[in-house]
Amino acid sequence: MTVRKFRPPNRLANMIKERGGILAQDALVAAEAGVESLREASLAALDETLAEIERRFGKGAEDREHEPFEGLYLLSSRIIDVGHFVSDTGVDKAAVSLCTLADSLAETGVWRWDAVDVHLNALKLLRAMGAQLPAAQRDAMLEGLYQVSHHRPDEV
Amino acid sequence: MADPLLPSTRINLEKATVLVLDDNGASLDILSQVVSGFGVKQLFRAESVADAQALIRTKTFDLIISDVQMPVTDGIEFIEWLRKEGGENNRYVPVILVTGHTRTSQIFKLRDAGSNYVVAKPITPKVLLERIFWVAREERAFIECDSYIGPDRRFKHEGPPPGTDGRRKDDLPAEVGDAQTPNMSDDEIANLMRPAKVQI
Repeated sequence: MTVRKFRPPNRLANMIKERGGILAQDALVAAEAGVESLREASLAALDETLAEIERRFGKGAEDREHEPFEGLYLLSSRIIDVGHFVSDTGVDKAAVSLCTLADSLAETGVWRWDAVDVHLNALKLLRAMGAQLPAAQRDAMLEGLYQVSHHRPDEV
Repeated sequence: MADPLLPSTRINLEKATVLVLDDNGASLDILSQVVSGFGVKQLFRAESVADAQALIRTKTFDLIISDVQMPVTDGIEFIEWLRKEGGENNRYVPVILVTGHTRTSQIFKLRDAGSNYVVAKPITPKVLLERIFWVAREERAFIECDSYIGPDRRFKHEGPPPGTDGRRKDDLPAEVGDAQTPNMSDDEIANLMRPAKVQI
């Protein structure tokens, strides 16, 4: 096998050190301000995603066993996308756990609805009052979710 | 290795042309705001790989930031396409992939996609700026072969994988041989590190 090893020109490297520009600390302040301006819209998007997950995968969903695993995975990852705004609630971490679960379910091809339901309940609780929960209680809840999402029934 | 990014470090991204790709509009907005805050004036947004490919065929980019999990064509396939078919102006552009979760089946694919860095979502400006600074200052070689095109994945210089002799001419064996010269004395070692006044 022929392997070519070389150093292509890195235009970004030349630009970033050109005269002018801004201090890194000022760049971060500007970026944080820009992100903060999206808080309301991002939280609205997060709530819409939670509602869609509930509608399609919640206990009340009539046809949930026919939904694709991929659908749950993509919706969960959308929560993580805007998780910056709810990092004090644990919602972002619960969504990571739900992604892990959806990925695992897709591999086995079998729904474990008890595991899905406990994640959806946790997401609702954390979204509503995660920030007010004592940190130890919130961490314990997330640890429980990780155990559920990493559980492999076939390996017991 | 590149210098670390300090608050007082001056960065200039005014002339950089950057492409951000994410299928989730809310996430794309966040990425765009962050990159704009860094001083980027030429920012292009794409909500699908097809849109990104169309932009790449007509423009020259200096940095690409792409989501991984996307329907139809994902970020991994996009980077593989970019490295092979992105045209001479864009094939070697630094790429930062962003992902909220990595599927078990995609861990190795993600490593082998050809990106310069993978950043975990949710994005924070501090982490993203550090990574942009890192990819701009890194001096990694590019590797092009049948099975991989992208920055050298072995950049920590930790030697060949355990239990192997390595595949490269400059791979050193993991076992260290006997010393060829006597050990240095404490004074000799101290002298190597002693600060001394110099005339410039």
